[in-house]
Amino acid sequence: MKKQRSQGVKISAMNKWLSFAQAALCAGVVWLTAPASASDTLHPWTHNLQPLSNSDWNRERAAHLLERAGFGGTPQEIDALANMTPAQAVNHLVRYPRTPERYPAFEASGAHDAGLEPFAVSRPAATDLAKATGEALGVKVKPDGNRRVQQVADRYLYWLRASRLETHRLGYWWANRMLNTRRPFQEKMTLFWHGHFATSEEKVRDFRKLHAQNELLRQHATGHFRTLMMAVAKDPAMLAFLDAGANLKGAPNENFAREIMELFTMGVGHYTERDIQEAARAFTGWNYQNLRFVINPAQHDAGQKTVLNRTGHFNGEQVIDILLAQPVTAEFLAGKLYRYFVREDLSPAYQQRLGKLLRERQYNIGDFMATVLLSKDFYSAASVATRIKPPVELLVSTYKKMALKAVPGIPDFNEQSESLGQKLFYPPNVAGWAHGRSWITPGLLLARGNVMYDTVFPPIDFSAPDRVPNGLYQINPVADKLAQGLDVTTATKPEGKSMGEMSMSNNGDRDEDFNTRLASYHAWRKAIEKVKPIERATAQLNLSKLMRQAHCTSAEQAVAHLVHRFLSVPVPAEAQAKIAAMLAQDLGTTDLRVADSYMEDALRNALHVILSLPAYQLG
Amino acid sequence: MNHSTLYRRGFLQGLAGIGLGAVLPLGQAALAANPDRILVVVELTGANDGFNTLVPYADDAYYRLRPKLGIRANRLRKIDDQYGFNPGMAGFERLFKEGQMAVVHGCGYDNPSYSHFTSASYWHTGVPNGGEPYGWLGRLADAIDPQVTPNFLINIDERQSLAVRAAKHVPVVFDDPERFGRKGLYQSRPLIDNNVQGQASSNASQRFLEEVAQSARQASVQVSAAWRNYQTPVDYGIFPMDLPKVASMIKAQLPTRIYHTAYRHNAFDTHVHQAEQHQRLLTYVSDGVSGFMQDLKRLGRDKDVLVVVYSEFGRRAAENTSLGTDHGTANHVYLVGPGVKGGHHGQAPSLTNLNAEGNVLHTTDFRRVYASVIEQWMGANSQALLNGRFDTLPVLA
Repeated sequence: MKKQRSQGVKISAMNKWLSFAQAALCAGVVWLTAPASASDTLHPWTHNLQPLSNSDWNRERAAHLLERAGFGGTPQEIDALANMTPAQAVNHLVRYPRTPERYPAFEASGAHDAGLEPFAVSRPAATDLAKATGEALGVKVKPDGNRRVQQVADRYLYWLRASRLETHRLGYWWANRMLNTRRPFQEKMTLFWHGHFATSEEKVRDFRKLHAQNELLRQHATGHFRTLMMAVAKDPAMLAFLDAGANLKGAPNENFAREIMELFTMGVGHYTERDIQEAARAFTGWNYQNLRFVINPAQHDAGQKTVLNRTGHFNGEQVIDILLAQPVTAEFLAGKLYRYFVREDLSPAYQQRLGKLLRERQYNIGDFMATVLLSKDFYSAASVATRIKPPVELLVSTYKKMALKAVPGIPDFNEQSESLGQKLFYPPNVAGWAHGRSWITPGLLLARGNVMYDTVFPPIDFSAPDRVPNGLYQINPVADKLAQGLDVTTATKPEGKSMGEMSMSNNGDRDEDFNTRLASYHAWRKAIEKVKPIERATAQLNLSKLMRQAHCTSAEQAVAHLVHRFLSVPVPAEAQAKIAAMLAQDLGTTDLRVADSYMEDALRNALHVILSLPAYQLG
Repeated sequence: MNHSTLYRRGFLQGLAGIGLGAVLPLGQAALAANPDRILVVVELTGANDGFNTLVPYADDAYYRLRPKLGIRANRLRKIDDQYGFNPGMAGFERLFKEGQMAVVHGCGYDNPSYSHFTSASYWHTGVPNGGEPYGWLGRLADAIDPQVTPNFLINIDERQSLAVRAAKHVPVVFDDPERFGRKGLYQSRPLIDNNVQGQASSNASQRFLEEVAQSARQASVQVSAAWRNYQTPVDYGIFPMDLPKVASMIKAQLPTRIYHTAYRHNAFDTHVHQAEQHQRLLTYVSDGVSGFMQDLKRLGRDKDVLVVVYSEFGRRAAENTSLGTDHGTANHVYLVGPGVKGGHHGQAPSLTNLNAEGNVLHTTDFRRVYASVIEQWMGANSQALLNGRFDTLPVLA
């Protein structure tokens, strides 16, 4: 094979600011560096809230805006924004109610039925209730025979499994919405609020509540914060997550009051333990019934409370208004929005300014964000391409730039994003996801590269985790043994190694009234019968087509196009040349026209290398 | 990289480190003294209920505070005439009775925070109510290993813990050793196994990513091989946390001397209906830790390892009305291994003298435990690392 020398990727020689049309074409790819990004020194734009002027608008800045206010875009989507003025572009994204949303609503499988309400707090609670009353979760106890409450245990676990599987479907639905929406900023804000008002299926155990909360966050994503905060405080998912049902007159549970102050409004350090205890009293009696918010007057403590130096017979709403009236709340929230959308490092002085801005905008999130996203600060060197993308954003923006129409079903999206530290509807704790550098560890960085590999070269041994329990719950052997005619006790005996002292947890959970492992098997079988399967197609990637559309004719141009299409930071010419050389060797030529009929896998391999660069995490 | 450049780099960094001049010789002394000793720190996130873990059954106040959640004496795994472990904790009972467990009572700090995240950050840094940016284990690694040995400090978790954050060491953080390697086709290996991006960027985030990538390259081969070559006949129970992974790396003789792992996701935050759930969690911990010690014994390394089990705070002395417990203050720290001086240490906090929130008053500054571990197990100077003098406890034999 002919030895390929780099033909010199035409990076720097050409005019800096090409028109958008040229930039999309391979022959004309240039790295458009924002003027200030070569220096760490404080640029005059840093901390400058003035709007960017029209003359400073260009394709790179449009791409930066779309990365942050959405999930990145294809060259065509970036061109469309670059063709507007900066103010038009920001408004187009932030004032999205003008853009019709055609994305279809989530369709539940119908796995829930009225008999499951109210759902038992635990398996023992369900089986004990059944033993005491003869019925639980809509299932009657067998009048006679062995394992008389088996079906109650089955049903309890059925709902846990079904709700989990529905939540995974919901995660797919949302990720697809992020990919296909015409309102990317609405989804981005909804994702931000999901982390802010972190609520997990792990504890809520009811996908219906999480779905309702997701719609609530979306509905109020860019409105007034007060409206959103009040709605969240009455949201059944949140009430369930923070044990509101246990917050009773005379015996307040502080969990909800604490998190509302520490995580939702003021931040830690601006209130006393006494404030929390008093505020908790104001929320006593707040609860939910099925999917409705209710206040139980008998459990509400209407007495006098003192919260943050104000005294009165406050109810929950009034306490929230006291929290919102604290200047520190605006600073806390503005700082959190800024860190998420602009950059991690934020001086106390600038945070105060942003807090003031949020108050000036009357806590209107859309107005505040429009100012921030149009500010020169947002386009300063310190802001551009310095943000480490959270896993869900990394994946969705990758699919977008790959021009995919659907989130791949193979590998599993929820498992992929979870392996990187973020799973929709499963934030790790009440504080939500920690952002910035905490997304990256040696293990997670390698995993990010591997997720890219599995996207371009999907596994051939994939088994759908919403059908096959794999090692989960240790029920595969139970099913096998039952089919072989073994009795339940034998079939459910734990397998596996043991040597010397047997651990307590493997001694099995025996009860003459039911068998948990049998229940776990029954529950899975019934859950996959009710819950619709997730569509399982691999990424419908067609890099060859993208190359043709971009008029790339050489390996060098292909690499330059992919680098420019996917990355937010420059890749040195030598590095691009190495990747191009590998591609050319795979293809047996540098000429893509010669290789047109067989170039897909070689292009995918080159793309994997590009998406494995540590710098690909930045946006 | 050969040995001499490695040493030289560390040596220069040691000299260049601001205020670290005094630490360098100490660190070398420590390495000379205890070259094989390993510290494994296990965090129970969410604040474990210590009162229902090691129950003070002889104290009537306990049963008055916990009329429903209190565990009856006849159900406990009694270790003496005062205390008994939760019924689910056969492993801890055995370790204690064999003299392999030191329980330090009443560990906490002044002006306690009731926020999980704030209090955890105090424990992680060893600096309550301060703004220390590095973790106590990170600072310990920097002090005793100024030459910055690759893979010296390992954190098995989804995210890096603040406890291991270091000025000089890049902690090796991973979750699943089977995934701790890079996929890529043969012809792409030279490109993905090396730094192709080249020169240092002016973008600080990018520089950070390149640094982590370098650490990942150094660690992944050894860690995955360690896990691949590890098999154990020991039963660690249903949920062994990450302890078998640690055992695999000890078996493979990685140069790691500090491990941090966690029972994750705030699992111990038991506000409601806690009894059964809490006992299950404790069984997992007890099975996991005792399985780990058995496994180490099998490998002939148990004497080289100290396990420290802690939580960001304890829970309120009294049960709440939802059959759970709210955020509290002082708690036990458990030190496990043949090297400990087994038994009780420190004074148990009074269950009748409570603060305004109904919490016990701490009796042992938790940094005394850190100081003991730093000095007696790792052989380093705790005063420099903890920004102050904390009296050690006789927890190590």
